[in-house]
Amino acid sequence: MKIVVNVAARVGNRLLASLPALFGVLVFTFLLMRVLPGDPAVFFSSDPNAGPEEVERLRKAMGLDQPMLVQLAYYLRDVATGHLGSSMSTGQTVVVDLVERLPASLELTFIALVLALSLALPLGILAALRPGSALDHAVRFICSLGVCAPTFVCGLLLIYVFYVVLGWAPDPTGRIGVFDAPPPGITGLLLIDYLLVGDLASWRSALSQLVLPATTMALFVLAPLARMTRASMLAALGSDFIRTARALGLSHWKVIVAYGLRNALLPVITITGVVFSTMLGANVLVEKVFAWPGVGSYALDALLSSDFAPVQGFVLLMATIFVMVNLLIDTLYGLADPRVSIR
Amino acid sequence: MTINRRDYLKGSAGLAGGALVGGPLGSSIAAAQSRSETLRHVMGAVLTSLDPTTGGATRESSPLSMNVYDRLVAFGTKQVAGGRMFDMGNIRGELAQKVDRSADGRTYTFHLREGATWHDGTPVEAEDIKWSLDRAVGAPSTAKAQMSNGSMTDPGQFKIVGDRQIEIRTERPDRLTLATFCVPFLPMFNSKLAKKHATSDDPWAVNWLKDNTAAGGAYIVESNRPGQQVVLRRNENWKNGENGKLPYFQRVIVQTIPDVSARASLVERGDADLTLDAAASDIPGLEKRGRVSIIAVPQTNAWQSVAFNTLAAPFDDLKVRQAVTAALPYEDMFNAAIFGRGKRLFGADWSEPPSSAIPQPMPVRRDLDRAKRLLAESGHAGGFRTTFSFPASMSTTVEPMAALIKESLATIGVDVTVQKLPDAQMTTMVSERRLPMFFDFFTAWLPTSEYTTRIFLTATTRWNASGWNDAIATKLGDDARYETDQAKYDAMMVEVIKRYVAANPLALLWHPNHDAVVAKNVEGYTYWFHRGADYRYLKRI
Amino acid sequence: MSATARHVAWVLRGNPVTAIATFGFSCLVFLALFGPWIQPHDPIASNVANALQPPSSAHWAGTDQLGRDILSRLIAATRIDLAIAASAVAISFAAGVVIGSLAGYAGGLVDRVIGSVVDVLMAFPLFVMAMAMVAVLGNRIENIIIATAFINLPFYIRFARAEVNVRRNAGWVEAARACGDSHLDIVLFSLIPNILPAMAVQISLNLGWAILNAAGLSFLGLGVTAPTPEWGIMVAEGARFILSGQWWLVAFPGAALMLTVLCFNLLGDGLRDILDPRMRT
Repeated sequence: MKIVVNVAARVGNRLLASLPALFGVLVFTFLLMRVLPGDPAVFFSSDPNAGPEEVERLRKAMGLDQPMLVQLAYYLRDVATGHLGSSMSTGQTVVVDLVERLPASLELTFIALVLALSLALPLGILAALRPGSALDHAVRFICSLGVCAPTFVCGLLLIYVFYVVLGWAPDPTGRIGVFDAPPPGITGLLLIDYLLVGDLASWRSALSQLVLPATTMALFVLAPLARMTRASMLAALGSDFIRTARALGLSHWKVIVAYGLRNALLPVITITGVVFSTMLGANVLVEKVFAWPGVGSYALDALLSSDFAPVQGFVLLMATIFVMVNLLIDTLYGLADPRVSIR
Repeated sequence: MTINRRDYLKGSAGLAGGALVGGPLGSSIAAAQSRSETLRHVMGAVLTSLDPTTGGATRESSPLSMNVYDRLVAFGTKQVAGGRMFDMGNIRGELAQKVDRSADGRTYTFHLREGATWHDGTPVEAEDIKWSLDRAVGAPSTAKAQMSNGSMTDPGQFKIVGDRQIEIRTERPDRLTLATFCVPFLPMFNSKLAKKHATSDDPWAVNWLKDNTAAGGAYIVESNRPGQQVVLRRNENWKNGENGKLPYFQRVIVQTIPDVSARASLVERGDADLTLDAAASDIPGLEKRGRVSIIAVPQTNAWQSVAFNTLAAPFDDLKVRQAVTAALPYEDMFNAAIFGRGKRLFGADWSEPPSSAIPQPMPVRRDLDRAKRLLAESGHAGGFRTTFSFPASMSTTVEPMAALIKESLATIGVDVTVQKLPDAQMTTMVSERRLPMFFDFFTAWLPTSEYTTRIFLTATTRWNASGWNDAIATKLGDDARYETDQAKYDAMMVEVIKRYVAANPLALLWHPNHDAVVAKNVEGYTYWFHRGADYRYLKRI
Repeated sequence: MSATARHVAWVLRGNPVTAIATFGFSCLVFLALFGPWIQPHDPIASNVANALQPPSSAHWAGTDQLGRDILSRLIAATRIDLAIAASAVAISFAAGVVIGSLAGYAGGLVDRVIGSVVDVLMAFPLFVMAMAMVAVLGNRIENIIIATAFINLPFYIRFARAEVNVRRNAGWVEAARACGDSHLDIVLFSLIPNILPAMAVQISLNLGWAILNAAGLSFLGLGVTAPTPEWGIMVAEGARFILSGQWWLVAFPGAALMLTVLCFNLLGDGLRDILDPRMRT
């Protein structure tokens, strides 16, 4: 019972502490967007017959005729009531757009993260078991290569090899096989939705669409994960309790898995949280290469057409996810390790 | 006939996914049949509104509106080198069965087709037409400006004069009045339905019509997932087409696929039937492999150019403009930027314009000696520094062009900095006339010489990119609008061209091609002035 | 001094990877400095008739859409890419160390204010922030540098703050204070020099990251403008041709980027080994 209260207090404190940061993000993005050169009203009145009168009408509709502080006040009020404005380029409200696209980014990021972890953990552990060996150096080198390859180059080369040359991968054209029926939007995560409606053919097709972009992202984040696994595993293996366990004659693998790995996982969890947030933000390059209809490419397009509201909404969303993930990691960490003091 | 959508989609999923993941090739006979009667169009842009006259509607909403709504009249089509295209000189009835024009050219009387109905089955009445026309000049929309180009600005100009007759009167005989009734901005609405959704703030149901339709055209919007896909179903009661025939395709799926090359490869693999505006760089490969038809029609109503800001130094100096015009590597740009896929607007050889067409090929070519001489005469013998700007969305075409321009102008001592600007910034800077030299691209829906002159050569808006200001040409354009004598009209336009060539406000480059990548078994593709697809003309063979 | 040299030599011998990275780094610097005299062709000169040729003996890395020699463009781009990364890192390093040391040394309110500003910055998706900054400031090289420097800044501030915080009550700092040194002197001449070695590792790793950032921005059309040869924009130009099978337009600039970043990262690791053998992970 005490633990629940403690955790709740901790979460509450953390949430309160993150509010100023979120507010700062909100104001900063707003100001940044307002100094973007280019008058969106001129841009979006793209009809050759449009005169100054049309432009003025559009400017008014977009609220751009108000002083900036008034605009900011309106914006903050809207955000507080859950309105993030409308996108000029899609004609939808930003909330609708983000809800539509966030699952695409989340799905890609999750799959990539799972893929990266399933590679990084064994590699890191193996390297830690034989520090300084050829295997260790090989793992280190592979990781260094992965982190060095720009995601967009990696993605393009994967497309070249697996789509153009070998023909194994589907068109890099988004998340649904082009003529698959989109599933009813239950969670928005295609792999789950297709399973729920029992459409296995489409499920496979959606999975095949995911393989290349997820691999691209996984390669990029493999290095920090594997390195952290290796380092914390090394630290754990070198500690007293392992020596004690060994001295007690426990089997080699039991020592490694039950005592080494369990203790080594804590820092890995922390870094996984950081990696996840970074991936969500850096998604934009991969989304661009694979025409992935996620939030990153949405923000990029909006940015290029001076469409303020979607960019602001995107940044706010990312910052919120960032805070949430950190909170989650923190809480997990606190639960797992009683030594972490609860403030 | 009803189509089981789920079945056919499953079948095609098997086809699309089968090769990749080893899934079953589950194509039943029924699926194959519905596949052949379904047209799949993949496009890059998104559809932001079902009503093209809404502020902020994307270009793609115009062709969609042509398929879903009827207009009173429509342009015919004609065969040209490369394919079929619209024909402004041949206007036929659509929702109107016939049109009478008064002797003075100021009054048109439209006779509505008997038995025409809206999608909900209610009959089309003269009141609907009157409401639609009133909306076009009254509602806060882009239709208003378009209407004024046909000399229509006031609801009082539209009268119901008989049971199924509407009369339109204009102050003077405007050459474009009738053509205006053919453009996407003048759809005919089911006014009873639309009025149900009008509010006191929004008497013309502008907001409702953005996401809903009140139409009677050849296709019915079955589903619309903004930003992803629109599914159209054929209106089986439609009788307003050419010879009253129904369109071939029962269903049209319009899907957004952002990557241009991916779109073309979908058509190539048989997964899609149509995509427009293919990347010029992909076309040679597509042609070589020969698995699709490429219908390439020069967009004679669209043209690209290098514009000079005639209102500021250094391009306020005619000699500087002429020098740079003579130093551009036209032929290389034509090949590198659009892979020769277009119609040249340079390299002509005349001193007297051979026709009254605007634009037409200009008597300019690359001549570095002339360029150097002119530059010296202008007092810039040592050259100068300037910038060449273009919008980010056009990078594919303009980036290679910019590299060639920079290289070529360096040979006459002009140091060019290439500037890629976000589109919104570009449009703002062009309208504020803050860019010295930039890429310019425009499209005219009604490409008559006098319309082009008024909107793109002499206007004070950003569409007159170079800011050319010539009182005589301006007057000629305004007068020609009401000139009914063709010979006089031609003479006026030739005069405009001569003045334009002499002033050299921009360097015309070319009409780019409209390249449609079409499945081999689909025919009838027609190039329209709105640069979109009209599914009513397509059929599978 | 000779002990240090021996230590370096010993580390290099024991770790051939660092030796290779050092060699690679020297090659990069050489190309950046002397590229114009080495490149086989003019990187700007077009030859439309010879466009999109695969690698051959005349053009080792093939030609691009305008018939320009890709190898020469790669060499010419070395200078720009290194310059962008180096200036960006230099700016964020200088600013970050000063601000971070200030926060770490002063503590209290100053520390809290700076800390919360850094928190705000870190809550941003940083790459998106760089995109927005370039979009706001315009597609020019100096703006890419500013944007890249800006998104690196929080890391330097945090790092310097932590390092200074650890040391600010150390004996030698107390000693300096006792000798009557001003706070500014202590920060500038005692603390900052003391944290430099630890920062050097950070800088090397950061250079690689800065190059990736700048190239990523250019790839999205928010960076260096063509026809300037730059690796990211070369990849972006080549991306259009990947589906039609002209792989060399992407592969070579991609490889250049990758090798350069690899070089910096390995160098950073090596540097860490040299400075503190125990820190090696």
